[in-house]
Amino acid sequence: MNNLGQMTLMALRYLNGRRLRTALTTLAIVFGVALIFAINITLPGAIAAFTQSLSSLTGADMTITNVTGASFAPESALPLVQDVEGVAAVTGVLRRSFTLPAIGSELGSATSIEMIGIEPETMQQVRQFTISDGRFLQPDDRGAVVVPAGIAEIAPQIEIGSTFPLISAAGLRTYTVVGFSAEQGSLSQPTLYLNLPDVQAAFGQPGQINTIEIALSPGADAAAVSEAVLAALGDTYIVDGGAAGNEAFAAVQASLLVLNLMGVLALFLGAFLIFNTFRTIVIERRRDLGMLRAIGATRGQITTMILVESLLQGVIGTLIGLLLGYLMASAMIYGLAGVYRSYFSGVSLGITMSAGAVISAVALGLLTALLAGYFPARAAGRISPLDALRPPTPVSVNRATRSSLIVGIVLMVLAIVMLLAGGQTAVGGAVVFLVGMVAAAPGLIMPLARLFSPLLTLWFAREGDLARSNLQRQPGRAAITASTLMIGLAVLILMAAMVLALGQLVNTLADRNFASDVFITPPSISVYNNVLGADASLEDRLRALPEIETVASLRYASSGLDGTRLEVLGIDPATYPQVASLEFSAGSEVESFAALGEGRTAIVTGLAASTLNLEMGDEISLQTANGAQTYRIVGIGEDILTFKLATLFISQANMAADFNKTEDVLLMANFSPGVEDAAGLAAVQTVMADYPQFTVHLTGQYRQTLVDTTSAAFVIFYGLAGLILLPAALGLLNTLTINILERTREIGVIRAVGGSQRQVQRIVTAEALLLGIFGAALGVLAGVAMSYGFIGAFSALGWEVPYIFPVAGIIAAIVVGVLIALFAGILPARSAARLDIIRALQYE
Amino acid sequence: MFILKTESLTKKYGSESQPIYALRDLNMSVEAGEFVAIMGPSGSGKSTALYLMGGLDRPTSGHVWLRDKDITTMNDDALSKVRRESIGFVFQFFNLIPVLTAVENVAMPLILDGVPRPQALERAEAALKQVDLANRASHRPSELSGGQQQRAAIARALAAKPAIILADEPTGNLDSRSSDEVVAVLRRTVDDFGQTLVLVTHDPRVAAHADRIVFIKDGNIVDENRLKGADRAEQIREKLGRVAMSEG
Ligand SMILES: Nc1ncnc2c1ncn2[C@@H]1O[C@H](COP(=O)(O)OP(=O)(O)O)[C@@H](O)[C@H]1O
Ligand SMILES: [Mg+2]
Repeated sequence: MNNLGQMTLMALRYLNGRRLRTALTTLAIVFGVALIFAINITLPGAIAAFTQSLSSLTGADMTITNVTGASFAPESALPLVQDVEGVAAVTGVLRRSFTLPAIGSELGSATSIEMIGIEPETMQQVRQFTISDGRFLQPDDRGAVVVPAGIAEIAPQIEIGSTFPLISAAGLRTYTVVGFSAEQGSLSQPTLYLNLPDVQAAFGQPGQINTIEIALSPGADAAAVSEAVLAALGDTYIVDGGAAGNEAFAAVQASLLVLNLMGVLALFLGAFLIFNTFRTIVIERRRDLGMLRAIGATRGQITTMILVESLLQGVIGTLIGLLLGYLMASAMIYGLAGVYRSYFSGVSLGITMSAGAVISAVALGLLTALLAGYFPARAAGRISPLDALRPPTPVSVNRATRSSLIVGIVLMVLAIVMLLAGGQTAVGGAVVFLVGMVAAAPGLIMPLARLFSPLLTLWFAREGDLARSNLQRQPGRAAITASTLMIGLAVLILMAAMVLALGQLVNTLADRNFASDVFITPPSISVYNNVLGADASLEDRLRALPEIETVASLRYASSGLDGTRLEVLGIDPATYPQVASLEFSAGSEVESFAALGEGRTAIVTGLAASTLNLEMGDEISLQTANGAQTYRIVGIGEDILTFKLATLFISQANMAADFNKTEDVLLMANFSPGVEDAAGLAAVQTVMADYPQFTVHLTGQYRQTLVDTTSAAFVIFYGLAGLILLPAALGLLNTLTINILERTREIGVIRAVGGSQRQVQRIVTAEALLLGIFGAALGVLAGVAMSYGFIGAFSALGWEVPYIFPVAGIIAAIVVGVLIALFAGILPARSAARLDIIRALQYE
Repeated sequence: MFILKTESLTKKYGSESQPIYALRDLNMSVEAGEFVAIMGPSGSGKSTALYLMGGLDRPTSGHVWLRDKDITTMNDDALSKVRRESIGFVFQFFNLIPVLTAVENVAMPLILDGVPRPQALERAEAALKQVDLANRASHRPSELSGGQQQRAAIARALAAKPAIILADEPTGNLDSRSSDEVVAVLRRTVDDFGQTLVLVTHDPRVAAHADRIVFIKDGNIVDENRLKGADRAEQIREKLGRVAMSEG
């Protein structure tokens, strides 16, 4: 159309004329866009901040770290680097970021800190430090610290000569401030500089460094130097490595993907809804559109007109969606802070606006609107000018429904075969089943209607029969509506089944694993990267308590196998089985733990086994701090403590030798016989006062906390199901509205021959109910298939989750479906009942 | 010189085995500046004839000549252009766009034709003046009476200065007073502006204003008349009765 302005004007007037419907349809876009936007302004920011906090990039020209991030002895590497051509100066550094205990600290609002141990003399040859107050570190300083000047903002009491205590692997240590560095740094994670030996002591890593910083000679070619350094050191080292291989990083990235998928699903339903609405619009305006054709509008002009209207809704929905997304992100950060902290401590959650986030949300919102509007718009273009002038001719649909029923049934049979095959195929089966259901839906309407009609007759008497035959007239439309509802309810059932299965998993694993009396946990129970644990001093002191019989601990390192990242946990095969266990799917408790004590052996989790294709007895070449080492698999087992993705258990002796790690990140202990819980706990707590980075729990309580935190996280699942159900409800409202519009004249006749307002209202309500029941019936089938497929896929990933038939979820879905239907029926039923008889009779 | 001419115009509905002929070899021609009324019993094919003449529908066979162009062979876009520029329609149900004001409705064909909005509105105002509705320009259809809505629809048909106006029972939905107003307006466009007009009606009082009356039955012309005299309406009524009685 030449005059797009006029189109927009008309579109706006039309939209304004039906404000409620416009709002409801626009909401569909709003939700999808908001979800996607909220996700993409929070998580990637978190990932980026995290990456940066872990990045080894400093003020130096070049940094070198171990591939696994492990520490190493400077003698083995520094001289080799020093000799490389183009390297002017070299210094060894031990640095680490770690989470501070949740209790208040001297460092104000900082939630974590970065501690860097340096050799002042060599360091100053590598990079320049500007001291804004006080002095820089001297080589023989002990317990001296240089803090960033910006710290005054969060801890104004700190000045030159101030002292403050800080957690360390060997208990609390006190440091004295000697200077302020001019660099501002991050206030949520301030950087502290100390002498290398202080930091080595604090981390329980005497004589070790984990980073080499290099200053290049003037004019040296960085790429060439980098290559030469690597050649000298071998492939266990990397230059300027970041946080790519971090565990929290992987977890956040996985959730980013899943949440984005949910957003896309919400938009997909949004598209369904817009499609349905615009079909309504095209039917409603058949006369107007036919008239425009009669007075000379081309097909293209009519199509453009409808597209402009849907695009307009897309624009409005997208704008509101961006706003709502921002609010959602803020609320999410606020509401989830607790849960998030306990799982991903150290990953700061905040809102980071990025062009990418805005563009992807806007593009998806507008595209959805355009795409969903396109088909109705094309149909509008095909309206004949004569349509303006003649009553609608009834369309016959039966042929089409029969063939799609056959296609649907074939797909469903195929899907069932795929579902039974299990594994990833089962997920495919779940999706195919859903598609099959959508295809079969129009053909299923009639038989289902017949099936439910006795029920309906019981409730609604004759009005029920009328409602049924009304739906049967437009099985295609009824099917689309029921399908929308079906997808929403299927997702609800899927979520319920997942919550059930994961809850069950947490419970069984907790039963098996939690054999100890007390648990001593770091601030974050699923990410150990940012945890500052304890050295042997803690375990020794605990063991010395008369109240304690056994102590066992867990150590952590990061590794890789054939390019896949692996978490490595170190346990003592002698003590660990006394306080905890694994749920073995290959090997046994006795044999596997015994084997762990001999040579280089490992027990892997199911997920590691399935992703890396490992079996009992396999030998793997594991990346370690000291190059690749061959480990043999002696068991496959699950645990709950770690809740990690791909994990390997090895002995602590091997971890010390191959990963240079001796730090305990989690401890478990059993009381001596006859010691009461309270007395034992009190004894442990006296020791733990020096290690505030840990929290002590009685196992029963800990178990409860864990289960509670997990169920809090499950609320999110249901929230997402709700977001998907909303568009479904809107779809139902739309269909009922169209059905009534199309039957205006008929309703007039019913009223004219003596039907009461109440009867008309009951017909529409019965119709809504019938649609709700269809949707629920289809949704239950699809939901069972989907949950079966997805949970089957869990097992394939190594999480042996039993499939529990989601009875409660199914009942909830039926109730929700019927309630949504009744609720969506209220408005159309009322407006149908209130139709003016005379005008309804004249309506064409 | 004819403005519009049909040639063996035939329209068939229904299946091959049970065809229903809405029109059968209709030959009819309309001269420039002529006001023709088409009359006939219900279902005789009047509307079908009008729709085919206006390019709203396509004939089963036969041709429609608009001046020297055969519109039955045109593609959809070309046909749309013809409707936009050369033909003005008026229908029984006024079919105004409810969300647009009277003047915007009238301007619609011009806007569709790419006339810039200000000019289109200006010309629409002029057309509204022609049908005595200038004072209702900014009212929405729902704020106008039936007769006023129909006059707005006539203004819309006039706005593009079409070669011919085709009106299908324009007074069928109006009371007799409004009906008189509408017919007066139509007659005036013929008398004052030389507008060519074909009008389908049931109402002998309306048909009485026409220059020529064509009676059709079962899809073909059964009679044609140029009536004179004060009792024209009475003559038409009589004729209609005879047409209805005659063997089809
Ligand atoms: N779309 C259609 N399908 C089938 N038959 C039609 C259709 N339109 C019109 N007819 C038939 O064609 C004949 C002429 O119709 P129409 O031109 O509307 O008559 P009139 O306007 O004179 O009352 C009637 O018998 C009618 O039933
Ligand atoms: Mg007719």
